[in-house]
Amino acid sequence: MTTSYNAMELMICVASRELEDGSTLAVGTGAPCAAAMLAQKLSSPNLSILFEAGSVNPQLPEMPISVGDSRAGHKAVMVSTMGAIMETCQRGYVDYTFLGGAQIDMYGNLNSTMIGDNYQEPKVRFPGSGGANDLASLCWKTIVITPMDDRRFVEQVDFITTPGYLTGKGAREAAGLPEGTGPYKVITNLCILGYDDDTCRMRIESLHPGVTVEKVRENCGFELLLADSLEETHPPTDEELRILREEVDPDGYIIGR
Amino acid sequence: MAHANDRLFDHQMAREFKLKKTRALVDKRMDLSDAVAQYVEDGDSLIETGFAYARGPMAAYWEIGRQKKQNLVGIYTPGGLNNLWHEFGGIEGAHVAYVGVEMRGLIAPFRRGVEAGTLKVFSDWSHGGLSASLRAAEQGMNYVASKSMLGSDVMKDNPYVKLGEDPWTGEPVCLIPAMYPDVAIFHVHHADKYGNGRVWGLSVNDTAIAIAAKKVVVTCERIVDTDDIRASAANVIIPWYCVDAVCEVPYGAWPGDMPGMYYFDRPLQEQVVRVDWKTPEATKAWVETNIYGTKNHYEMIQLAADEEGMNVLDYVKRLEQFACSAAYFGIGTWGTGGERDWKYEEVAKRAI
Repeated sequence: MTTSYNAMELMICVASRELEDGSTLAVGTGAPCAAAMLAQKLSSPNLSILFEAGSVNPQLPEMPISVGDSRAGHKAVMVSTMGAIMETCQRGYVDYTFLGGAQIDMYGNLNSTMIGDNYQEPKVRFPGSGGANDLASLCWKTIVITPMDDRRFVEQVDFITTPGYLTGKGAREAAGLPEGTGPYKVITNLCILGYDDDTCRMRIESLHPGVTVEKVRENCGFELLLADSLEETHPPTDEELRILREEVDPDGYIIGR
Repeated sequence: MAHANDRLFDHQMAREFKLKKTRALVDKRMDLSDAVAQYVEDGDSLIETGFAYARGPMAAYWEIGRQKKQNLVGIYTPGGLNNLWHEFGGIEGAHVAYVGVEMRGLIAPFRRGVEAGTLKVFSDWSHGGLSASLRAAEQGMNYVASKSMLGSDVMKDNPYVKLGEDPWTGEPVCLIPAMYPDVAIFHVHHADKYGNGRVWGLSVNDTAIAIAAKKVVVTCERIVDTDDIRASAANVIIPWYCVDAVCEVPYGAWPGDMPGMYYFDRPLQEQVVRVDWKTPEATKAWVETNIYGTKNHYEMIQLAADEEGMNVLDYVKRLEQFACSAAYFGIGTWGTGGERDWKYEEVAKRAI
């Protein structure tokens, strides 16, 4: 009998399984950091975290509030600079990054800058790129964690803050971005999405328990491809949920109370 | 008077300005209010330092509001807490890599100012792009090339960066000019009277900013002897010749985090960004009470302690308990658990 869980817990548990032991990961605070901490406590004790403020491989005592705070730098092997972290990514040493965004399109391009037709006069203004543009440009594999609905998953993002595959296969390389980098997975409350090798378009790879292809498509503003063999996502295990609730986010800041 | 943006990337002007400053070891100690009055001028570009709300010079930002500085241009990689001053005429516009408080969301005065068209976003950047711009200035170089921002609308809509090509391979690269903000204020753990600034933990963009900015004010938890600075020189991130003023401001990063010394007042920060600044009216009332209604940082801290029904010393001691162990930052007796009595006396003396 599996414990019940909410959508955020499901997304964090599923995301944490993507992170191989021995790999390097650049993350921000929130759900991505929770997934990384969970992975470190379960499957990937040798997962090294980097924060854009300069922290290299810290041992996080608890969930940081900011990527630049005391906790984010706690027991790090190096406390460096923002430039040093971005340049480490640019040199190719960082395997994964985890991002979110207000809008995403079928090529994994992300918008966290503004909503509206005109950049000069936004209807809604968001915080801006932060490190998202750099990390998705320069790390090998970009994983996005986001709930799914047709306002987020759109035909065209209003502003490309963070490049995915841009307009399709070969476009990243043509723009000058490092070859072989790019979007890898999108972890949502309904399914796991990946990208088609030939077209670089988003596709459904695994459905969460009880979710149908129709339900996923209803919540997406563009046409989703299907992987050759669809899988069913393993629900969070009791062990994952226990560690997430008791050790990673005991105050429920991310997963709710 | 030319607009701040017209001199922001002027390599020659910055070089002449900075090389005119003395490189002699002179005592630069002064009161924070005097330093803000003298070095933050109306119309300046002001870059945020530290990681905005982590090891940020919050006491100085509150003082900028208290002195009603006008038409500043904000530079945020990251930042944005001083966007608050937009609604009081203090911030005219901004160069933005990131304005927000991460998982706690947006900073309301920024969002509503930009959406209303009253607060101008002069340019968007990525963190890597803006830090590269400051690093060019740090190198004393006109520009640097980077792989950040390529292919994105951040690059397309940024009026300062250019698409170039690697002259050897022909690969596209982003060319990023050196940025020279008019003024930067830092908060460090310790400084000597000449301005050598030392921190424990992440230095973020601070060394590049200290070298790039034309005018530099260093606030610190405590002023120490130069011999003490020499004993842990690897932690010095700001060299004296960049610095114009040194101000001793214990708890100067409050209500933000100071690595190894004290942690965020988390409930207070959440109350401020989610409730107190949510509407222009609420923001005005908050500023009347907390900024115009206080004469300095310590009166503000006293108000926060009163709000929780706590003695001010118990209040700061509680924030110290949340700080990560000073030992892991190598601060030793300088961090939590050491040198406290002096700081408490200072707070007791300086509060109401």
